[in-house]
Amino acid sequence: MLETRQLSKTYSGDGTDFQALRDVDLRIDKGDCVAIVGKSGSGKSTLMHLLACLDAPSNGSVIVDGQDVSSLSEKAKNTLRNQKFGFVFQQFFLNGRDTVFENVVLPMRIRGESASTLTKDAATALAAVGLTDKTNKRAKDLSGGEKQRVCIARALIGRPQVIFADEPTGNLDSQTGAAVENLLFDLNREQGITLVIVTHDSELAERCDRLIEMKDGQIVSDKKRGEAK
Amino acid sequence: MKFWDLIKIANRNLFRNKLRTFLTVAAIFVGSFTLTMTNGLGDGMRSYVESQVKNFESDRVLMVRKKVEEPSGPKNGAEEYKDAPDGDSGLDPNSFLITEQQITSLTNGIVGIMTVTPRYNIGGEYITLDGTKKYKVELGMLSEGITQKTEAGKPISGERQIVFPVGLARTFDPNIDNLIGRTATLGYRNGKDEIVAIALTVVGVATKGFMTNTSSFVDASTAKLIHNDQRRGDTPGKYIGFSMQMDSPERIDAAKKVLDERGFTAVTMADNQKRTYDALGIFKIAMSLVAAIALLAASFGIINTLVIAVLERTKEIGLQKALGMSRGKIFAIFSLESVLIGFWGALLGTVFGIAVGLITNKVLIAAYAESFEGFNLFAFTLPSIASVMLIVSAVAFFAGVMPAFRASRLNPIDSLRYE
Ligand SMILES: Nc1ncnc2c1ncn2[C@@H]1O[C@H](COP(=O)(O)OP(=O)(O)OP(=O)(O)O)[C@@H](O)[C@H]1O
Ligand SMILES: [Mg+2]
Repeated sequence: MLETRQLSKTYSGDGTDFQALRDVDLRIDKGDCVAIVGKSGSGKSTLMHLLACLDAPSNGSVIVDGQDVSSLSEKAKNTLRNQKFGFVFQQFFLNGRDTVFENVVLPMRIRGESASTLTKDAATALAAVGLTDKTNKRAKDLSGGEKQRVCIARALIGRPQVIFADEPTGNLDSQTGAAVENLLFDLNREQGITLVIVTHDSELAERCDRLIEMKDGQIVSDKKRGEAK
Repeated sequence: MKFWDLIKIANRNLFRNKLRTFLTVAAIFVGSFTLTMTNGLGDGMRSYVESQVKNFESDRVLMVRKKVEEPSGPKNGAEEYKDAPDGDSGLDPNSFLITEQQITSLTNGIVGIMTVTPRYNIGGEYITLDGTKKYKVELGMLSEGITQKTEAGKPISGERQIVFPVGLARTFDPNIDNLIGRTATLGYRNGKDEIVAIALTVVGVATKGFMTNTSSFVDASTAKLIHNDQRRGDTPGKYIGFSMQMDSPERIDAAKKVLDERGFTAVTMADNQKRTYDALGIFKIAMSLVAAIALLAASFGIINTLVIAVLERTKEIGLQKALGMSRGKIFAIFSLESVLIGFWGALLGTVFGIAVGLITNKVLIAAYAESFEGFNLFAFTLPSIASVMLIVSAVAFFAGVMPAFRASRLNPIDSLRYE
């Protein structure tokens, strides 16, 4: 599903170069549930952004479904992200002044779906995260946990193959965080959606099938759950 | 994502910041209001002038004047002082007045002249129909070969005839047709300061027009009679100019050339009209320039508003791009926002401008009913209104290009990380 070959990323700015990622070789299969852990600044988000085709690597390549992303046009990458990927971020990135409905249907609007499809899919997605009654509320009036559930609804409305979650529970207390986690794992188990979760939370990481640890831009360990540490 | 969706998004974005949108629209409003008013004034004056000049027709009459040397204005540097006070050439009447003999020698050798009429300077005291009720009168002379348009009756075609302006005619009889053929008595003051009365036949009532709204016109021979009678002393007649009726319009150019060589300028009615229109055009351009400056200032308002909007919505734009929205769509949303600002400003500006213009017209007519009758200071035509809307929307679009381009170029990662 997702593959990297000698993936490197160097940030250059202010005259100094910083290598955030060094020769990362990684393979994530369909239906995997992967946690990426590591200290702050170790390159987790950088890796996730590259996997999600949000950024271009300095070296090496990202391969999605057997196709080298660097060979894709801007437009093809947009379509790829829109149709195959879903995103959940720590800071939600909701449009507070818009309704929950508007926030959730954004990927479908970008896709150009008809109004009736939007209503139907939004209802399904919001039901899946248990927020049907909040459909017409303004996003800014929701609690943190509810906001993150809206984000999950927005991530899954387009029936993605992969959901990328960057610290999805980072802004939530442990109880609401657990609810959000459960939602994600359910999606993985029931719909076979591949999960790539970047997290600091060791409890969350423990619940994933696979645990990738990063340090200084490199993968230092890659274990299946249950394997000895 | 459909175009209609983009417009909805753009509209929603504008509504999110009502005050800022309102202020930006207000700036555009001022610009398009100014443009509407200046356009309306220009068109109004054009139709005003049109109704004035179109009341006289002639395609083969030349009006001739002596060329006046340009009065030497202040020059850069020093000008030599002359001891002999030889007079400022620009003000000395002898420098532009001409005598009958001069006219004769001047027209000598020009082919195709039918009649020559000096420009008689005449003044009237009163006019009356029944001899008891006298009204003040302003007199004008109709040169031979020029036709005046009439509302009732016929233009002047013989001697001892007069054409009334509408206002005066209505005072005499609300049904102006009744006046045609009647005899009017015109009183004027002669050279010895005595009032002399002559009888004239009313042949017509002039079509409304700037000059013809106040002046009564008499035929050239009547004018000559009055002029000669009004001369003081025995000085030979001197005129500011004369008119020349040619036997065909084709002779005009040749006659102009000869007169030019002899130091005189000759113009036709059409030349005069063209000159007036040219002047009006320049006036309109100058006014449009003022409006353009107002619009330019307003367009900076748009740029400013959108640049701030791009900064504010950096994260939103980042998310939209992450979710697969193309650069073109982002550009389109911001462009549409600026075009919408321009559109609303233009719509309000033109509607308000038209309202103010029409009210002004009404007020002017109420205040100066007689002399302004049939005229509008402001005239609004569909093409000019449409062009204002188009120009303003286009200006708004171009103002939005830079911010929209910046928004479209944002890197999703940078904007998601943006604090
Ligand atoms: N645009 C950038 N320009 C320069 N350096 C950057 C940029 N983005 C990230 N970095 C650097 O790259 C390194 C890795 O960043 P990254 O965000 O991937 O870390 P992370 O593992 O996600 O950390 P955290 O857990 O704190 O989110 C950091 O040292 C960061 O300073
Ligand atoms: Mg990070």
